[in-house]
Amino acid sequence: MIARYVGRRLLQSAFVLWLAVTLAFLAMQLTPGDPAQALLAASGATEKEIAERRAQLGLDAPLPLQYGRYLWSLAQADLGQSWLHGRPVGQMILEQLPATAELAVSATLVGSALGVGLGVLAALRRFTWLDTAATTVAVIGLSTPTYWSGLLAILLFSLHLGWLPPTGEGDLRHLVLPSLVLGFALSGSIARLVRARIAQVMEEPFVQAARARGIPSWRVILAHVLRPALPIVLTVIALQFGFLLGGAVITESVFARRGLGKLAVEAILWRDLPVIRGVVVFGALAYVLVNLAADLAQAWLTPRLREELA
Amino acid sequence: MKRLLPILVLLSVALAGCCDPIPPSAPTATPAPFPSSDFTPTPTRIVYGLTLKPSGIDPHINASSELGIPLTSVYDTLVYLDPERGDFVPGLAEDWDISEDGLSYTFYLREGVTFHDDTPFNAEAVRFNLERITSSDLASQKARFMLGPYERTEVLDEYTVRIHLSEPFAPLLDSLSQVYVGMASPTAVEKWGSEYQHHQVGTGPFIFAEYVPDDHLLLRRNPDYAWGPSIYQHETALADEIEFRFFVESATRSPTLEAGEVDVMGEIPPQDAARLMESEDFYIEAVPIPGVSLMFFLNTTRPPLDDVQVRQALLCGTDRQAIVSTIFRDTSPVAYGPLAANTFGYEPAVQDYYTYNPTQAADLLDGAGWIDTDDDGIRDKDGEPLVLDMVLMDWGYMREIGQLVAAQWSNLGIGINSQLVSYPEALEIASEGRHHLIPFNLSGSDPDILRKFFHSQASFNWSKLDDAEMDAWLEAAARTTDREEREALYSQIQLRIMNQGFVIPIRDYVNLNGVSKRVQGLRFDAQGWFPWLIDVTASEIQ
Repeated sequence: MIARYVGRRLLQSAFVLWLAVTLAFLAMQLTPGDPAQALLAASGATEKEIAERRAQLGLDAPLPLQYGRYLWSLAQADLGQSWLHGRPVGQMILEQLPATAELAVSATLVGSALGVGLGVLAALRRFTWLDTAATTVAVIGLSTPTYWSGLLAILLFSLHLGWLPPTGEGDLRHLVLPSLVLGFALSGSIARLVRARIAQVMEEPFVQAARARGIPSWRVILAHVLRPALPIVLTVIALQFGFLLGGAVITESVFARRGLGKLAVEAILWRDLPVIRGVVVFGALAYVLVNLAADLAQAWLTPRLREELA
Repeated sequence: MKRLLPILVLLSVALAGCCDPIPPSAPTATPAPFPSSDFTPTPTRIVYGLTLKPSGIDPHINASSELGIPLTSVYDTLVYLDPERGDFVPGLAEDWDISEDGLSYTFYLREGVTFHDDTPFNAEAVRFNLERITSSDLASQKARFMLGPYERTEVLDEYTVRIHLSEPFAPLLDSLSQVYVGMASPTAVEKWGSEYQHHQVGTGPFIFAEYVPDDHLLLRRNPDYAWGPSIYQHETALADEIEFRFFVESATRSPTLEAGEVDVMGEIPPQDAARLMESEDFYIEAVPIPGVSLMFFLNTTRPPLDDVQVRQALLCGTDRQAIVSTIFRDTSPVAYGPLAANTFGYEPAVQDYYTYNPTQAADLLDGAGWIDTDDDGIRDKDGEPLVLDMVLMDWGYMREIGQLVAAQWSNLGIGINSQLVSYPEALEIASEGRHHLIPFNLSGSDPDILRKFFHSQASFNWSKLDDAEMDAWLEAAARTTDREEREALYSQIQLRIMNQGFVIPIRDYVNLNGVSKRVQGLRFDAQGWFPWLIDVTASEIQ
């Protein structure tokens, strides 16, 4: 049973992957600018030499053929070589991965703690000023783009207060601002979900029973409500974590951090297709795998599902 | 940042003290000889800030200027260009002959030179390098094209090598003097394959010790170096280690330098440079860059810029001095012609063209029939308003310059539609001729660079020229090795460009380096980008 479930999920994941790489392929076809020309224009290469390079990169082939070659090399787990750097794309992604993973983990931790905290607070004091305040903070987090909140954070904490370095990376201090900014953005949806989920579980008869026994509401929530409410929250957190593993493009740019996002931006500016595809494939793969893991964890955390699968 | 300053200074003192590097092949950290200096000979470490994170750093493959800043000291070249005298001096080649027909160059190589991995340098190594650069598998983005009509390399004996060309190519020695055609160890290239750029091996005064992309690149002194060109002042490097770090955000560069995190910082923004010039602890090493000045290319095929009077009006109506003062704080000179003033072949007569004169500009536009008939502030002719499409890229202050120019021209009744695009998109727009104006600049020490912009078949023929005479001049100047003949041809070319108003030159590029006063001996090569690190040293922090 469990094997069939995993098998079905894997099949779905393969479909999602295919969709992502195909969209990446098509999107770059629609973007103006010729990669061979971008690479060679300043070198003094002649039109003929640029055309030769275009052929060498396979860009003169008909689209379906280019697409076929692209899928074929992916199927062989070959991400190819960067046109701009002349190095294996897989290697370049591995080099950028630690910086991205570091930010993804810390931002997810900040976002989960803040989100669950705000959500529980709002649920505990539903329809009071505290609820309104917590929900407002969540909505601000949800709706503030990081390029704006990031700059505000740099203004306040780095330039005005001088507490933290504005940009760059290295020690933990460099990680604080980007994690807070990105975590804050994540916390919004988590908080809203936690609040709604708790409200839903609160209506369940067993909670009513617990309350009828006179257990204080904070204990009801922590001991009885949170546990059944958590699995779905976990899925959402995993979704966001998987998304971040693909590179937090804007946050990385604002804080001048390296990472997959920066790599992708550079590749897009230069029409470095192998790198763009590599980052997309990697991001999609990370997303799909993390999700799969979250679903399995949810199944395991939810007794009803666990029994169905067993 | 201010509060951090003392801590950072302390830290860097501590670091400088605790990380005394010991050269791998020397039993003790023997200091370099100081022929005529009064520094205390202690191990020296210099931190050098670079701007761009280099996009690939194999000089044979990649094209960035950034890669040459460290790697010019890792590789030697066959010849060197002496920036002061403007001629070529021996490097790995002690001497050379050029055949009468200009088709073959024979190089007599220096003996006793070894790569950092102990591979001997010889004629076979030269052949290996040139074959590598020109092989289509390598997909070189710059070096291959610097060699122009390269055909093959012939090994005559252990230390004599001949390069054959399919047609004469005057810029060849200039190309061979640059790091992009530096001599790499054949052993290392074959050993590392596509990962060679992380394990580069040359014959230069510094050894490529460590490279962590986007983080740092470390060079260590080559204690065996003894074959530098005459333009180097020392036989071996003075500094023991030079660490390069990357600072993409321009706003962080000056504060990082002032905090003591780096000793040298390239590409300081002009407003910070103006401030650092006043400082007691830092100085600005301003290096003029030869090549094609920053200028607007005017699309001469698209109305109304097909009318030379309109183009001349734009030239007269542009206050370049105001742009240089406002945006560049007078740190770079006004450009008057297509070549930067320190490029070989520069024609000073271009300075007499188009001094700022808005009245004359207005007269020219009136004369061309562009008059504001409907009183909306924009001139018009036959019902068409005088509105030009300006295509801008987001680097090199092009956006700021575009805004200022648009403001100056609006007083003349000219409207500007500006569009911010990426480089590949700009190339596409320009090749299709959908622009009126695009600014651009490109560095290079040989005036043949003009061929990339004004030849009818050029990649950057953004003025959309189709002038057979101009093509012939450019081709002739690229073929002859006679310096006077070249100068005469380039003079004609520059005057034609300015007479016809194909471009609006704005400024010559100046590379502004912020330097701590503890650093001595920082000088740059003829390209203006690449420091001769062998002569650089630093005294202890006061």
